[in-house]
Amino acid sequence: MSYIVSPDVVKYACTCGLLKPISCLYFCRYCCELRCGFCVCHEVDSHFCGKCCENLPSSEARLKKNRCGNCYICPCCQQELSTRIGSKGPSNPEDPKSTPKKMYYLSCLYCRWSSRDVGIPDQGAATGGWPERENVHANRLQEVIEGYKAFITAQRQQKEREKKKQRGKFISYTDRTGVTAAALRKRIGLPAEVPNTYYRNRPKPPEVAIAREEVEDFPEDLLTKALNLMEITTIDQRLLQPDLQPTTVDKLFPIHKQLSIKRSLRCRSCEHNVSKPEYNPNSVKFKIQLFAYYHIPEVRIVTVEPLRAGKTAELILKFTNPTQHQTVITFLPLDLTDKGGDGDREVVGETQSLNLPEKQPPSLGGQPSSLLSLSSRQPSITIKPRPIRQATNCSIAIPGSKVILPPRDDAAEYDDSGETHNIQDDTKLVVWRKSNKAFVKLAVTPDDGLELNTEIVAGFTMQHIYTNTIATTVENKEPDRHDHNVRVFLSLGNLVGSE
Amino acid sequence: MPIYETLSDRLTVVLDIGAAYTKFGFSGEYAPRCIIRSEVRCKKTNQVRRIFDFKDEQDLYDLLVDFIHTLYFKYALFSPKDKPIVVVESLLSPTLFRETLAKVLFVHYEISMMLIVPSHLVSLSTLGAETALVLDVGYIEAVAIPVCFGLPVIHAWQALPLGAQAIHNNLRTLLSSENTGINQLPETVIEDIKVRCCFVTKQKRAEQFNLAKPDITFAPEVKYPIGGSDIITISGKVREKVYEILYDEDNDHLSLSTMILDAILKVDMHLRNQLAENILLIGGSVMAPGFKARLKDELHKQLKYERYKKLRIKTFKFHSPPCKENYAAWLGGGIYGATEVLGMKALTREKYFLENRLPDWPNMRDNRTL
Amino acid sequence: MELREINYNKGDYVETASGNKVCRQTVLCGSQNIILQGKVIVQSEAIIRGDLANVRTGRYCIISKEAVIRPPYKKFSKGVAFFPLVMGDHVFVGEGSLVSAGVVGSYVYIGKNCVIGRRCILKDCCVIEDNTVLAPETVVPPFTRYGGSPGMNIGDLPECQADLMVDYTRSYYQHFQPTKII
Repeated sequence: MSYIVSPDVVKYACTCGLLKPISCLYFCRYCCELRCGFCVCHEVDSHFCGKCCENLPSSEARLKKNRCGNCYICPCCQQELSTRIGSKGPSNPEDPKSTPKKMYYLSCLYCRWSSRDVGIPDQGAATGGWPERENVHANRLQEVIEGYKAFITAQRQQKEREKKKQRGKFISYTDRTGVTAAALRKRIGLPAEVPNTYYRNRPKPPEVAIAREEVEDFPEDLLTKALNLMEITTIDQRLLQPDLQPTTVDKLFPIHKQLSIKRSLRCRSCEHNVSKPEYNPNSVKFKIQLFAYYHIPEVRIVTVEPLRAGKTAELILKFTNPTQHQTVITFLPLDLTDKGGDGDREVVGETQSLNLPEKQPPSLGGQPSSLLSLSSRQPSITIKPRPIRQATNCSIAIPGSKVILPPRDDAAEYDDSGETHNIQDDTKLVVWRKSNKAFVKLAVTPDDGLELNTEIVAGFTMQHIYTNTIATTVENKEPDRHDHNVRVFLSLGNLVGSE
Repeated sequence: MPIYETLSDRLTVVLDIGAAYTKFGFSGEYAPRCIIRSEVRCKKTNQVRRIFDFKDEQDLYDLLVDFIHTLYFKYALFSPKDKPIVVVESLLSPTLFRETLAKVLFVHYEISMMLIVPSHLVSLSTLGAETALVLDVGYIEAVAIPVCFGLPVIHAWQALPLGAQAIHNNLRTLLSSENTGINQLPETVIEDIKVRCCFVTKQKRAEQFNLAKPDITFAPEVKYPIGGSDIITISGKVREKVYEILYDEDNDHLSLSTMILDAILKVDMHLRNQLAENILLIGGSVMAPGFKARLKDELHKQLKYERYKKLRIKTFKFHSPPCKENYAAWLGGGIYGATEVLGMKALTREKYFLENRLPDWPNMRDNRTL
Repeated sequence: MELREINYNKGDYVETASGNKVCRQTVLCGSQNIILQGKVIVQSEAIIRGDLANVRTGRYCIISKEAVIRPPYKKFSKGVAFFPLVMGDHVFVGEGSLVSAGVVGSYVYIGKNCVIGRRCILKDCCVIEDNTVLAPETVVPPFTRYGGSPGMNIGDLPECQADLMVDYTRSYYQHFQPTKII
């Protein structure tokens, strides 16, 4: 629930230093680091139309200017337009047998705008065929663009030619005799102009526009006629059609619906995907899904006693192990300077930050062969993690004992028999447990001297054992188990009073 | 595959981030793909924030990352990585802003190269002209810069805080005197009232405003509905008077018209007439009905004063660009982006990382070329 | 936050063999046309109009108080026809919302006081925020968040939305327990 509508009360610190709820984080299992939407590389996977849910190849999407050919949105309220059937009378009124011809028009079911309002004739076919409008200045602009293109190309070619000339320093006799080429040419009766290819091919610059003295006249009827607000478009409606920007509603035309994309995410330091969706636009499954929600134990606040400054309150947290492997959770005090990963890798990440992209990130060393095809890609630049800005104003008594979380078992849901685990818990710490979940009791003390209604934020470092199932080397068949630290911040609510 | 690649090579993003609206599209196209407000929805507080309301550099960086993300993944629909970009910016763009933008593009989005073009110069390319006086009336300020033979004459620049923001504030004050609760209205509503109801009135009528007993009847009033329940009345006086702040001279006797004339005054004598006969107006605010007619009248009025008599200008001529004025600068950037200038003059990623800064005209280090 | 216990009066609810918990103070018109796949909660004063057309929900659906599930209609030249309403698994319908969609996918969250216009299609994994009004025949693509009136795309959802919804509806069902009489 909390991830869907309520504010996020539990936040994890991403490797890049931003605080995010666990649902927005990714876990790159090659780097064993948390990643978030901010510090991964986004890539467009496929284009699709949100209304008809059809995929378009990227080349076609480009051709159609990233818009769907069949779906339209309303130029008034931007809702999707529906195609309606408006049967016209029989095509031949004299002939009683002729069936009424089906004619289609577009209509908005929200604001009741229809294509008939602006005088677009009804179409005989249900999809497509709606008239498209051309930019009125298209010809002139084409001329200008072509002119500039040719001009710049010529300029570049001339520069190259000059460079060539400088290179080959041939001795010209005209230089010594003082007889210029032009004079010579004149003497033999040729035109003085050098028939240089550059001058001959010199492109015509685009025709210069003529400025005019007369400007648009003041619209006199603004002063006398009452303004009908319903006829004048809003700025949003105008900007929806940048090339026309109609000022009155009778010039609003249906707009092709903008395409949507599915995107895949790539870890910037090891170039592995952390998320890759399936191609089908309707599918909600993923080919690669390295979401933190599936790999990092989830922390939730169950209850917290009313918080008073300087007084210890009881906090119950729920830990859930989402993985198929048993894990052990250890509580460590929050250290904002610590980067919260295995130490040495972090240091490497920091020193190479902002380096030139030529320098290969060190984590690329053990890359699998499947990545070799990607060698044409420029390796990403690693961004230096920023310091965490969140301040805490509440201390947590760090318990000495650890919490063991059994692996997730999907079948447990249907198993109503008693608990079968035989884990020796520290009963002071673990209040209750069921399958892969455990309720843990902690003591929190808000700082002294805080004002009433201050938001109380507490933090701790959660160390858990992460079992990496990807075999890094061929010999190493044993799953790799190591500790992973995550810094967790809890918003415990507001201070209700002091002692 | 080769077909796709040539296609993708041709697609160069052209970006013009304005204080109010951002123009975004591809080079070689006749109009931007979208003109959207330069603002992002803050994920934490779920509030919409303008990019130019940033607190510090870090804040601006985050805002720009979010904003460019929406541009690429909602409108361009491809990854910016290893792609070139053309950025249109004003010559007076703050260093902090342009440096942060470059950092976002090069470091966060890893673009391959960036071509920065000055908005006043490139908007001339829509005309095919080389010499003109360009007046850009944007959101925060109005900037006039003469461009002569393809070079902006920077020492003649004129800038005044006369833009949409000033108009909105004026509208708010004018409306408050006649209605209640105006101060609570969001700026989008004020903007909508301005766009749909207000206009620039004629010079003769404007002179009457200041008289004790105006000899004119104001335009009819408009009932403007707010939020489906309230109605505010926008009187004809307000409708006509809102834009007057652009033409009323301030304490230093400066207004839009004097900006143009002062800019001309600072240019070499031989070019003055040519500039006066090639005036290009760009920016969203110049699209107000009656704006140009009024500006022309005002210019002629100013010519009668001693200050500008020596100009000896008789006529003013205005260009009409082959586009809407609010994206004229973007279109100029698009024309430049379609040529080979991109490959010749753009700042590549490798070059950027050598110094971690952008070349800029006020910096002596970048002006040493000769 | 972990969900709190949601208690109800045991006498008010009927629990079926498949685990559906249906309040007695609901209006289930044409109950022969309503299929609840199991572990579905229908809370008090909810209305399901099975008399208009078939209504079929998946497992773990939660229909909150005063929500209205009403199969959509379409006008034809000869009259009006109603179409069945199909709902996927793990769907939450908030209090006082009117759902007239044609299809509601799985893992869909509909907030409070929403109006889902007729023949809308809500694909899997989408969220309709509180007080949204969706125009008729709107299609909501996967992983989008819609809000406002008229409903517009206002954001994206995390990729693990499906699991979040599974977890939410399951724990809602588990926490939905009769008040214990001491």
